[in-house]
Amino acid sequence: MVALVAVKGITKRFPGTVALQDVSFDIRAGEVHVLLGENGAGKSTLMKILSGIYQPTSGQITLGDTTYEQLTPNLSKAYGIRLIYQELSVVDYLSIEENLFIGNLPTCKKWGLNVVDRVTIRKKAQEAMRRVGLKRHPAMLVGDLSISEKQQVEIAKALASDARVIIMDEPTSSLTDEEVAHLFKVIQELKAQGIGLVYISHKLKEIPIVGDRVSVLKDGRYVGTYDARTTSTDKLVAAMVGREITHSRPDPTREAGASTVFAVDKVSSKDGRVRDVSFQLRQGEILGFAGLIGSGRSELMETIFGARERNGGDITLNGKVINPDSPYAAIKAGLALVTEDRRHTGFFHNFSIAENISILPMLKTAHRQLSLERIDFAEEKQFGDDYKARLRIRCSSPAQNITELSGGNQQKAIIAKWLAAKSDLFIFDEPTRGIDVGAKSEIYQILRELADAGKGIIVVSSELPELLSVCDRIAVYRNGSIAEVFNNADATEENIMHVATA
Amino acid sequence: MIQTETAVETAAVTPSPAKRDFAQLWQNYGTFGVLVILLVLSSALSPQYFLTTDNLLQVLLQSSVMVLLACGVFFTILIAGIDLSVGSMLALTGMVTAQLMMAGCPFWLAILLGGVLLGGLLGAVNGLLVNLTGLHPFIITLGTVAIYRGVTLIISNAASVFGFDPRFGDIIAGRVVGVPVPVLIALVVAGVLWFVTKYTRLGRNIYALGGNAQAAYFSGINVKLHTLVVFVISGICAGIAGVITVARTSAAEPNAGVGFETFAIASAIIGGTSFFGGRGKIPGVVVGGLIIGVINNILNLLNVQSYYQQIVMGALIIAAVTVDKFFGKKNAR
Repeated sequence: MVALVAVKGITKRFPGTVALQDVSFDIRAGEVHVLLGENGAGKSTLMKILSGIYQPTSGQITLGDTTYEQLTPNLSKAYGIRLIYQELSVVDYLSIEENLFIGNLPTCKKWGLNVVDRVTIRKKAQEAMRRVGLKRHPAMLVGDLSISEKQQVEIAKALASDARVIIMDEPTSSLTDEEVAHLFKVIQELKAQGIGLVYISHKLKEIPIVGDRVSVLKDGRYVGTYDARTTSTDKLVAAMVGREITHSRPDPTREAGASTVFAVDKVSSKDGRVRDVSFQLRQGEILGFAGLIGSGRSELMETIFGARERNGGDITLNGKVINPDSPYAAIKAGLALVTEDRRHTGFFHNFSIAENISILPMLKTAHRQLSLERIDFAEEKQFGDDYKARLRIRCSSPAQNITELSGGNQQKAIIAKWLAAKSDLFIFDEPTRGIDVGAKSEIYQILRELADAGKGIIVVSSELPELLSVCDRIAVYRNGSIAEVFNNADATEENIMHVATA
Repeated sequence: MIQTETAVETAAVTPSPAKRDFAQLWQNYGTFGVLVILLVLSSALSPQYFLTTDNLLQVLLQSSVMVLLACGVFFTILIAGIDLSVGSMLALTGMVTAQLMMAGCPFWLAILLGGVLLGGLLGAVNGLLVNLTGLHPFIITLGTVAIYRGVTLIISNAASVFGFDPRFGDIIAGRVVGVPVPVLIALVVAGVLWFVTKYTRLGRNIYALGGNAQAAYFSGINVKLHTLVVFVISGICAGIAGVITVARTSAAEPNAGVGFETFAIASAIIGGTSFFGGRGKIPGVVVGGLIIGVINNILNLLNVQSYYQQIVMGALIIAAVTVDKFFGKKNAR
């Protein structure tokens, strides 16, 4: 079969990292080529190169029978490559047919003026909608459609502009089972019409149903291409996570204390994102939470922290039921939440390092909110100096503004504020996101030291090697509840992925 | 991808040394420098009138109401909001204070109830509406600026109220050791608020809320409670300004304070308060209010039509924010 698009030996470097290294990949007419890989494996980078948004550092791209060193968005578009993002880009305030031709509205001459050709639009729209099986009136507002229908509009839009290759990024992530089945039917139709499809997904069970071939990327490298129908899930998972670098595991002789520090018992959230979650944390133990993005781990942590309304269940810290109904109550009770997004929910850009640290102990030791108690500037300076030394925060002075620090050092300052508040249970949500390797290992060491000092530690992470090297037990989270808990000794990336993607 | 972003950000916050030095200088003394330059300029332009004790006291007296309003508005801007209703709150509190006195209420009680308490209540209404609707304070106070004005016109039948206890005007608009009482009041209020912002935990939490509301929430700061308090502070400041306005003119005018929010906001902005929240200082706001007062005064002394004054004022606002945009240290409080 002829390849519609073929990339050969593509390498893409960003300052400081190699996103893709010597990757080859092709798409044939009338097939679904699944692209599989963990977060950060390079799938998005490859797709952005195909759509001309990124230019590869080296390698070749062949469209039909012309070979290019790099593409431009216009070139990619002219050839008929269409990318459908996970976040749909339809315009809610326009009708279906207007969405299909947005930016490219057919016109006709009327009274000597170029006006929008409504008749042609309607005809072409109906044709494109028929091809994706969207049974709605073309003049209907897209805002009134369901998510899955909006997705069909996106696909129809690609078809209406003569797509040859359609790339779908995680198309089923927000669809119900029924909608997924319908999407698969649409995909079969498109195959029959000779369209080449690239299907990016984490969900292993979809692969044999929808795919023809499957290619695996790992850490920016091409692992292999397999038959989607006959290759076992085990083999795919192994290809996805099998790493050359072996990671250390926590010392197996380390015994967790007998006493339970923290317990969550049958906790649900009012919005239904957290369903009946129970777990316990023993003294000195680090508990990890694995799961796919969107499985609701952050929502669970927010519920525990009082930032999301709880619906029943008990949260117990050191033998006392605390059930916080606000972050303030959680903090007063001794909880700490290091959020996943430092910039938006972590630090105060208008504060120095010392001020960012002292804000929490000040609030926690105040008798109430709106406290008119004086700020102890000497103590604040002390906090800054102490934690700069203790957590090895690299800065010229704690009086320096926090935005002048690197991501890793900002993270240390945020951890410092929770330490300064003498918290007992620490929840770390993606503690090393966007942090360089050196700072990562320092953060891991801090986690270990905290656990050894008797603090309870919970780590949410999408990086499995991180969880395996840090956590004593790993809970696999799926669809708003814990699916399974592994002891570190029994946990492998493969069996965690199996449970997470089931 | 993340690494590239970090690199860009680091570059953005590390300007050249020369620019950095100027930024530091501007941040610390910019507004004050502008005031000094203005004073020198005014003295040169009108040597026989400007630099007299009487005239300078007059400048302070005229600035006092504006400084009070600006201090209140400052807090709402500090949390990345705004309070457009200060002029209307000034009119309504002044009117109620006057009517209470006409109804036989002792003047000190009228000040407490009609000025301070009612001001706080009107501010609380702003704050509660912001909290309940989740709308931007611009929208809420754009509504209440009309509502409070309407209430003022209704309860007064759109007529001035005068002829109340003369002791009221004698004391509030009087002088203590030669200094007009309104100036002293404004100084005390600004002093207290300065203390709160700089030295207390409440003040620090308000800066935190203004810098990053999400982070403030996850750090346990009760965002709604602090928002409410900020609007109450603005209301009380406007209430005190309302009492002073009535005392100075010996009458409560239903149309008092129309358009004052513009000058109050201008004072805060010229004084270095960031419109994005989290940055600004009370002394800067006071100096900002004085700058506006001096400009008005010198243009009057030079017999410049008041229409030109508006042009100068507008240009000054744009200039102040422009300088701040290019040289302001975005990360310092």
